[in-house]
Amino acid sequence: MSTLFTTVRDTLRYKGREGQWLWVLHRISGLGILFYLILHIYDMSLAYFNVPVHEQLMALFKTPVFSALEMVLAALLVFHAVNGVRVALLDLRPALWARQQLATRLALIITVVIAAPTIIIMLIYTINAHLSAAATTAIR
Amino acid sequence: MKVHLKIKRFNPEKDKKPYWGEYDIEADEGDRVLDALQTVKWTIDGTLNFRRSCAHGICGSDAVRINGRNVLACKLLIRDAVKNGQITVEPILGLPLIKDLIVDMEPFFAHYRAVMPYLINDTDPGERERLQSPEERARYDDTTKCILCACCTTSCPSFWARGEYVGPAAIVQAHRFIFDSRDEGAAQRLQVLAEPDGVWRCRTIFNCTEVCPRDIQVTKAIGEVKRALITGKLD
Ligand code: FES
Repeated sequence: MSTLFTTVRDTLRYKGREGQWLWVLHRISGLGILFYLILHIYDMSLAYFNVPVHEQLMALFKTPVFSALEMVLAALLVFHAVNGVRVALLDLRPALWARQQLATRLALIITVVIAAPTIIIMLIYTINAHLSAAATTAIR
Repeated sequence: MKVHLKIKRFNPEKDKKPYWGEYDIEADEGDRVLDALQTVKWTIDGTLNFRRSCAHGICGSDAVRINGRNVLACKLLIRDAVKNGQITVEPILGLPLIKDLIVDMEPFFAHYRAVMPYLINDTDPGERERLQSPEERARYDDTTKCILCACCTTSCPSFWARGEYVGPAAIVQAHRFIFDSRDEGAAQRLQVLAEPDGVWRCRTIFNCTEVCPRDIQVTKAIGEVKRALITGKLD
């Protein structure tokens, strides 16, 4: 715990450039994905062990807040993958070091290019789902 | 020009926590930040403590954090350091604070010693020196430039997180011998660097490369050691 504290404190104290902040984002996205996976496995196991709770959870996950979180998760996932490729490439081809600032920018651009349409599709899908749900209740 | 200096002060005999000492001085914009520190010490407050020796970027004793980033105080001009008339000077991170801008460098040098920073070769060179071609010499030229100032190691988030990590400077020193054609200790050094606290703690963040006052391509050197470990080849 104290290690985590020192790392967070010193990261905020030190004025690093893009590389440092991409590393921070990589950690945060990694933790976010891990948290999602744990939640996902837990909730899927409930489909077998405790169906009512599972259904409650599924209803909760369909609320707008969770839909928004899901979109954030998608963006984090894309970033984590793209940035992971950047780091691996720089490790395997050390001579590319001179291009590292370009690489950080490229990683962010590629992330946006992949994540933006994904989120738009998710958004359309979610809005449609909410609208049709509302329509069904209205008809009833 | 007028400069407002904010210096992190700490006297272990009096203070519970470090605090900001603020000083207004007159300085030439072509002076180095080290000159400003000396002006404070010599004319305002003689109790200010910092290390310096050569004052010309050679000895590596005055690594500090200026405006949040590691640098040698003797290599940075006032004109390049001032932001809105102000310069902040703090000790480097990750090493135990002793007093004011002075940190305990021993953990840093312990990592340096761990990589065996000396020529290992038991064969008898005979009557002559060990010969090397210009190309062989050029292979590790970049990493011979290190002055052990600790700017790189103490800018590394992995080192802040875990002081046991050997750190960029020690890896640079190891690189200098691993890729030296006269040296035969590569396997021993690579073994040290393959440990969990060796090169694999490097997350390719590039803070080290960005602050090296000798412009050593630190992350590249670390990458070459990583690659040597993966492929088992020194190329
Ligand atoms: S005082 Fe020697 S490097 Fe700055």
